[in-house]
Amino acid sequence: MDDTQHSQQLALFLASTAHDMKNSISVLSGTLERLLDGAAPHTDSADPQFAQMAQMLYQTRRLNDNLMQLLALYKQVGQPEYPFDVQPIPAIELAEQVAALGRVLLQSRGIAFAVEVDPELIWHFDEDLIVGVVSHAVNNAVNYTRDRIRLVLRQQDEVLEIRVEDNGAGYPQALLDAGAEAMSGVASGIDFRTNSAGLGLYFAREVARMHRHRGRHGAVRLENGGQLGGGCFILTLP
Amino acid sequence: MNSPLERKAEQIDWAGKNYLVVDDFIGVRQLLRESLRSLGARNIDQAASGGEAIALLAKTRYDVVLCDFNLGDGKNGQQVLEEARVRHFLLPSSVWMMVSAEKSVESVMGAAEHQPDAYLVKPITEGVLLTRLNRAWHRKQVFRPIDQAYAEKDYLRAARLCDEQFAASRVHETELLRMKARLMERSGEPEKARDAYERVLAGREYQWARSGLAKIRMVNGELEQARQMFLGVIAENRYYIDAYDQLAQVYQNMGKYEEACTILERATKLSPNSVPRQRNLGKVCLKLGNVAMAEKAFRKCIAIGEYSVRKTPDAYLGLARVCGLKNDPKEALVLLAAAQREFGAEHPDMPLRAKITEGLVYHESGDYRHARKAGDELEVQLNARPERPDVPTCLEMATLLFAVGVKDAPVELLCYVARNNHDNAVLLDEVQAIFDKARMGEEGAALIRASKKEASDLMNQGVLLWKTGKLGEAVAWMRSARVKLPNNQRILFNAAQVLISHMREQGYDELMAAEAHEVLAHVDHLQPGQQRFAQLMEQLAALAPKVEEAPAEEPPESQT
Repeated sequence: MDDTQHSQQLALFLASTAHDMKNSISVLSGTLERLLDGAAPHTDSADPQFAQMAQMLYQTRRLNDNLMQLLALYKQVGQPEYPFDVQPIPAIELAEQVAALGRVLLQSRGIAFAVEVDPELIWHFDEDLIVGVVSHAVNNAVNYTRDRIRLVLRQQDEVLEIRVEDNGAGYPQALLDAGAEAMSGVASGIDFRTNSAGLGLYFAREVARMHRHRGRHGAVRLENGGQLGGGCFILTLP
Repeated sequence: MNSPLERKAEQIDWAGKNYLVVDDFIGVRQLLRESLRSLGARNIDQAASGGEAIALLAKTRYDVVLCDFNLGDGKNGQQVLEEARVRHFLLPSSVWMMVSAEKSVESVMGAAEHQPDAYLVKPITEGVLLTRLNRAWHRKQVFRPIDQAYAEKDYLRAARLCDEQFAASRVHETELLRMKARLMERSGEPEKARDAYERVLAGREYQWARSGLAKIRMVNGELEQARQMFLGVIAENRYYIDAYDQLAQVYQNMGKYEEACTILERATKLSPNSVPRQRNLGKVCLKLGNVAMAEKAFRKCIAIGEYSVRKTPDAYLGLARVCGLKNDPKEALVLLAAAQREFGAEHPDMPLRAKITEGLVYHESGDYRHARKAGDELEVQLNARPERPDVPTCLEMATLLFAVGVKDAPVELLCYVARNNHDNAVLLDEVQAIFDKARMGEEGAALIRASKKEASDLMNQGVLLWKTGKLGEAVAWMRSARVKLPNNQRILFNAAQVLISHMREQGYDELMAAEAHEVLAHVDHLQPGQQRFAQLMEQLAALAPKVEEAPAEEPPESQT
């Protein structure tokens, strides 16, 4: 009894601390976005201070994504499942949110962002989770691309395919392997010591798998090539 | 950006709207205010607590409220929303966005009575906010006429409006079907509700639709099938809390209180801050004699109810019973006094219910002298006022009065129940059983027979007048019948039917329409979800001057 009470109190404490940290990070990244946005018209994006600020925003975003993913996973570990919430959502509104989340970061890095989506397409998924995964993939692509990123949402047979493509040099082999391993299902997990993108991929896989329909579940894979010839992150949802 | 994203033709003017931002963290308030300003918003108020929010909501009608769920001490966001809705601080067009640090169990738990228009998870950014605001707004446009008909309890019109929207609003199709199913349940049309749920499930597995099918089974008495289906829903999504509450009801209907208790306990662990759930848990525990757990549930219920408009005296009464069982009648009396102070104003039955509980407490703790005294005082209270409380309270009171040795008052109560429910065989058996237990079996049977006859005579005379075209007299007759049997649903339905016929023959009359509305609202309160209620409401609405054609007329039901 004492033990459960103690762990309940600890959980409560951790939850409120996490709540606090998220508040701080959202204020931090919100302020950075505003500063960058305000500076953009007057400042040359080659200005070293502007570039540093853009880099700060990128890092803050990473911190934010990682924290969110950790918390979601922690919650899953702590109490078996996440409050999973599937709704019918227009694909275009998913694209809209991902684009808006990335706007300032993409502009500050001078990256052209293109979206292809069927405006009539409606799909069923957990909106918060999928927006999180796709926008994290876009943030990642910022790191790998030369100057272009393309987001594609389309129905392929019975699944929704979401592609984030870039025109960089492509994913390194180790990461492609990690991606394949993550999806093979036999690997018990990812070696977090050797690759930094591990958490994001792991999280994306978990999220994809939660989406099930008629005996099929979602999947994530990494490829090189695509229309822009760089790295491709591909999420499919049944 | 070169994208199809700028397709939105119907842009909404977010600049001119009134906004309220509620968060206990100043940094977040400022951030949200900045985000809203970037949408062009000019009128943005802020509140740092639930209390501040309520004060502002009372003064200003906001178009958009962004409210954090977690507001520190005092009211939480859900309680602020409930209070704002109950006290009519919101416009039908107001959009309420509930904000939380992480995905909350509440956002997926289903049938919560007061749902916000959307849940947002922090961090909130302009783009996400704008998309969700637009979506909530468009949804409101689709649902406003339906919600309006629903609020007027014209469920059949609301259902027709759902049908009309299906083709035009593909993105809302699932939700429209959900609404339609609910409307059909309320209209006593479970078959049509089932069709709507099946249509959803044909596209995709949604727990609420599966749960809806299970609920129809439960209402239909197919308890084992309902149990299996609810268990299936929970296995699929252990956060779909509504299924737990329903499953507990199935177990209660099966008479399996242990199982009901176990499932409610699990539900309260997942989502502890629901007043009704804690109350149900307390009541089931009391039935099982699990005093410790009942006490815990009732105390929790009182604690979370402190800031909630949904609090009721039940937890106080239940906790008083617990004190009685723990042989502490003094503490019980303190609680009963507190309940009367707290709820006396809104609950006219409060003195009566407190006195019943007092009697039960003394009776259960073996203090028969004080129990009898409470019984006598109860009798005096009953004689002083003609209104009677709801059926379960009447039965509880009669049982107690017999037990403590009072005789006339419980007989009168049971006859009252029989007269007002003369066609409810199950209930009449219960009444008979109470007579039997008081060793008044034969006398009771005769009294029940007489009560039944009195009610059906009143009904049949009304039908006769109606059939012979004496509509004015029929209306007057049913009015007096209602005075004698204020809670007899058959009489009430016929009274409304006669009023409708009168208006159809001799023209619409505002006073009569208001009377019919009042009568029907009362039946719906006594027993929601009856087919005849939905039909009469539709006929009544159709009579109002402006509206379209009237459905086919049906005669009032006669007694056979």
